[in-house]
Amino acid sequence: MGIGDIWNLIAMQPMINTLIVLTHYLFNNFGLAIIAITLIVNGAMFPLTLKQIRASKAMQDLQPKLAELQKKYPKDKQKLAQEQMKMYKESGVSPAGCLLPLLIQMPIWIALFQSVMRVLAVIPENLVGLSPYLYSWPVVYSTLPLNNHFLWLNLAVGDMFLALLVGGTMWVQQKMVMTPTADPKQQTQSSIMLWMMPIMFAFLTLSFPSGLALYWVTSNIFRIGVQYSIGGWGGLVKTSPKKQTGRDRKYKERIAKVEKAPEGADIVVPSSTQEEGLSYEESGGERQDRGGGYPKSIRATRRHPRRGGGHRRKGG
Amino acid sequence: MRIRNKAVSVGKICLLVILLLVGLTVLGCLGIKTSPEGSSGGTIADGTIFLCPALKQAAGFGCTAPVVEGKLVAVDISDGSRLWETPLEASTPTGGGFGCASSATPVAIYGNPAVVGELVYVGGYNGRVYALNSSSGALRWEYPRGASSLEPIVSGVVVALDRLYFGCSDGKVYALDIETGDKQWEFSTGGKIWATPAIDGETLYIGSFDKKLYAIDAITGEEKWEFETEGAIASIPLVYNNTVYIGSFDRYFYAVDAATGSLKWEFLADKWFWTRAIACNNTIYAGCFDGRVYILDAESGDEVVDAIDLGSPIYSWPVLVEGKIIVATEEGEIYAIDTANNQAALLADLDETIYAPLCASDGIIYIYSLGRNLYALNAASGARLWSQAIE
Repeated sequence: MGIGDIWNLIAMQPMINTLIVLTHYLFNNFGLAIIAITLIVNGAMFPLTLKQIRASKAMQDLQPKLAELQKKYPKDKQKLAQEQMKMYKESGVSPAGCLLPLLIQMPIWIALFQSVMRVLAVIPENLVGLSPYLYSWPVVYSTLPLNNHFLWLNLAVGDMFLALLVGGTMWVQQKMVMTPTADPKQQTQSSIMLWMMPIMFAFLTLSFPSGLALYWVTSNIFRIGVQYSIGGWGGLVKTSPKKQTGRDRKYKERIAKVEKAPEGADIVVPSSTQEEGLSYEESGGERQDRGGGYPKSIRATRRHPRRGGGHRRKGG
Repeated sequence: MRIRNKAVSVGKICLLVILLLVGLTVLGCLGIKTSPEGSSGGTIADGTIFLCPALKQAAGFGCTAPVVEGKLVAVDISDGSRLWETPLEASTPTGGGFGCASSATPVAIYGNPAVVGELVYVGGYNGRVYALNSSSGALRWEYPRGASSLEPIVSGVVVALDRLYFGCSDGKVYALDIETGDKQWEFSTGGKIWATPAIDGETLYIGSFDKKLYAIDAITGEEKWEFETEGAIASIPLVYNNTVYIGSFDRYFYAVDAATGSLKWEFLADKWFWTRAIACNNTIYAGCFDGRVYILDAESGDEVVDAIDLGSPIYSWPVLVEGKIIVATEEGEIYAIDTANNQAALLADLDETIYAPLCASDGIIYIYSLGRNLYALNAASGARLWSQAIE
């Protein structure tokens, strides 16, 4: 038994037959079956997806520190690697944590992708080729060949609206996970990823059967839901770091003063978290510092918790 | 330096994206054909075999794209030399290059051509029917006229009663005047039609994807009866001793009274039926996708002997030559089943995929492979007389 046979036995056959049975029970509607199986597969892989998203977020949170390390050791790559590993270890983040769940999920995505393509069986060759994959369940044989029409779509040919929907949902999903950064290099990378992937996928979708596009859209919407439940709208709400205003500059000067000030100095702190240039949403939707969002150095030196209706901090 | 770093980063991202897309496309499309190739067999008339070669699928980016036009080729059956060939329609390769779906409708031909008098008729996947001169290939007429076309035609065309009959993916059966190509009538079913019709007397029998077998008046186009199965029907009916025999996707092989449409018997196989059954000596030989040929009593449906397992799905239509049923398996093995004792013997192994219907003349069988080779084999010995690449 070759790898192809094993692949067919454990991945393709279950997926294809499930798709056909789902179609039968969902009013002979292949479109609904694609949506259902995408949700089932996504649901089954939810723990892995969750793990991957959390690991990615942890990695993103470490990015500023990593950048600092890179600045600190621009030429000593060995030292840099050591420090990076040390940092990963200390913060409990594993770089493989992002990749491993993704790698485990990949075969399942590919099987689902191939199954949708095969079950569509628009041309006689594909319908004939479907036969070896079928279980001997009567329901499978009585359901084939499947009806390719769903809503206004012919699931066997590309569709412009679905292509736009694929691109749009992919953009939203990517935007949600994106952490704004002031570093122009990272900004460029982020914006390329943000735009290139959705555009490429939208373009691909046009030339693929729209049954696959339906699978992509459903997957994207599911992931948007998962992402929202973990980190809210994330980068979607605050699209980019604010340009530095005069007020921000003053604030940063004050921060610098505070950092340099001797212990016990009486310093007035700014009154709004917005002045920090780091909003709740930008920090990934989860407040890292429940103590009010100020650097420890500021909190440590504050003598007067409230002055002039400014910062609302409990227990200050 | 900073610009260079930025360029390197951008390059890395682009590479990553491209690799991802290529991987996804290649893995996704692996082994899945996206444009029709056709699997037409030959039709023999006056020492000539008329054949529509399967289309080539050229490798595109990730998937495949149709690149060649469909054509009709006339081959001399004595040595396989090409007498003439004529393109059916120019086909521009579009779509399918980057992704998988193709927006083009190349003229792939699935059904056998029909030859009557000086005309040869072909129905194409591009939704058009062509009538061409059988000695020159010159176009006499095409249907529909003008730029319009029907849905893809997978069904073969059949000529009888001065009419040309075929089924279409739009779910209709069409009857055209064989001289002019004018439409005589059309009959609608509830699903696509990929099956070739069979004519017996003045009745046309045809199966549809709506799971029904229809009996239609071949003169008027009015329905006589319909028989419902549990699966779609893609095989051509066999009419024998006032009974219509047909296999379905529901894995049953049915015997239906030709006059009333009532069920006589049914037989359950392991997989679905696609190919044509053959009758001989009150026995029905039905090839199946489970790789077996079922040998059934025509009256009762009982197995005369145990099914013969040929080991690979049977898609191609078999032929009856000098008391032997010649069957080709998908993997290219050619078997001869002796109708006298129902024993099978391997005649030849072509080691090529065979989808096209077989045809025979004067004790010689002609087999066209998906690899676009035409073989002439001696039906008695299996000896290869000649083979020619017909592309």
